[in-house]
Amino acid sequence: MHIPDAFMPIWQGGIYWIIALIFIFLALKWARNELTEDKIPMVAVLSAGIFAIQAFNLPVGFGTSGHLVGGALVAILLGSPYAAVFVLTLVLIIQGVIFGDGGLTTMGANILNMGVIGGFIGYYSYWGLHQATKKVYLSAAIAAWLACFISALACAVMMWLAGTFPLVPGLVAMGTYHALIGIVEGAITAGAIYLLLQARPEFSDAVTGVNAA
Amino acid sequence: MIEELFAIEEESYRDSIVHRLDARVKLILTIAAIIAVVSYPFEPDLYLVSGGFLLLLIILFGLSKTAVKTYLIRLAMILPFGFFIIVAQIFFKNPRYTEFTVLIDLPFGIAVYQESFLFALMLSLKFIVCVSFIILLSGTTPMQDLLEGAARLGLPAEFTLVLGMTIRYLFVFAIMYRHIQNALATRCFSAYNRALPYRYRISTIAYTIGTFFLRSFEQGERTYMSMLCRGYGRSSYIYITKKPLASTDRLVLGMIMPFIIIFPIIIYLL
Repeated sequence: MHIPDAFMPIWQGGIYWIIALIFIFLALKWARNELTEDKIPMVAVLSAGIFAIQAFNLPVGFGTSGHLVGGALVAILLGSPYAAVFVLTLVLIIQGVIFGDGGLTTMGANILNMGVIGGFIGYYSYWGLHQATKKVYLSAAIAAWLACFISALACAVMMWLAGTFPLVPGLVAMGTYHALIGIVEGAITAGAIYLLLQARPEFSDAVTGVNAA
Repeated sequence: MIEELFAIEEESYRDSIVHRLDARVKLILTIAAIIAVVSYPFEPDLYLVSGGFLLLLIILFGLSKTAVKTYLIRLAMILPFGFFIIVAQIFFKNPRYTEFTVLIDLPFGIAVYQESFLFALMLSLKFIVCVSFIILLSGTTPMQDLLEGAARLGLPAEFTLVLGMTIRYLFVFAIMYRHIQNALATRCFSAYNRALPYRYRISTIAYTIGTFFLRSFEQGERTYMSMLCRGYGRSSYIYITKKPLASTDRLVLGMIMPFIIIFPIIIYLL
């Protein structure tokens, strides 16, 4: 889902960068207000962990594999979509500058796709589903699926706007592949949240809004 | 990707003229080259522009004493997603063109178009040039130097601190990742082993990732507490000493930067 350099006109990359910078600014503001400025390093360390988590290969089926994006997981567990923007911005900068995964001119688009869209869709769909069903793990799984699926569709739309890939085949290819990966991402997200709530019940404040006890 | 981390960092600590250049010079040249290549229109002249930039890259890689194998391995790790999009191009009518010539007629109404093939070729050239500049940058500059270089170029101090900590702990988690992989291998667990029930494989990975998240979170808490014990607080700020560019850095910047800016303009105007 990482759009590389050259796959997008420079002016479009610039527009996505501007939008992404607005969300990065809001994420920093969130971190200062909600985490207290002192605790920002804690999220920095967590970002390194998320980078490593993305390295785990997930068996998707049909001989393919994928990896966790983690935007929904971070947003749900830290209780804010801005947490996902913050963490994934750091992860994407390192992936782009050190590993060449994703580009520099397209980094704004990638932050927008995986951090902003993934984080916001993941967080608010979880919040809405949890309000309606009161089921933590089911809500988290569906939210993670939606975050993965919609981010992929957004990526396909961006590629179409860039003139790099036709819209319908792009939506079908990206949508189908990420709908499958999304099922695994949903299952993994739900499983990880289950484990975390067993080990550290205080996470339930963010996940359910009430104490686990 | 995380498996490459140590190899890239080890590579970046080798010694060569390119390695010794100031990180700021390499950052500026990389960003400028990528912007120049990405900005150039998809026209036949692009072959010449890409050729010029590839020649520059060959010289710089040669000076950096980077092994061809190292470069190719890193390129192969990056290519898949971009390569898929590039290959798929040839089967679609690219919106940049109005007339199409069928190059190969395939069954089920699928065809390879000459114009789309040429576009895919130009796209792949741009892609390879951009990715190669990133490989050169990260392969010749330690991460900490890159960060300090970015800070000296104006990256906000607040962001420098956060990014610095993320980079530092990448290595901690990369080792942790290796240990977990070894532990899973010792238990003969493979995510792709079809002899194991799918549900079991998914739950094992989910719990592993959950544990990893927890360990990252707790590491973050410990680091934060340690920092508090060592005087870190709201009023703390990161201070990076000023460092003027050496004459070699100025010379390299003065030679390569005009090439990056003027060469594509000349080709475009001719």
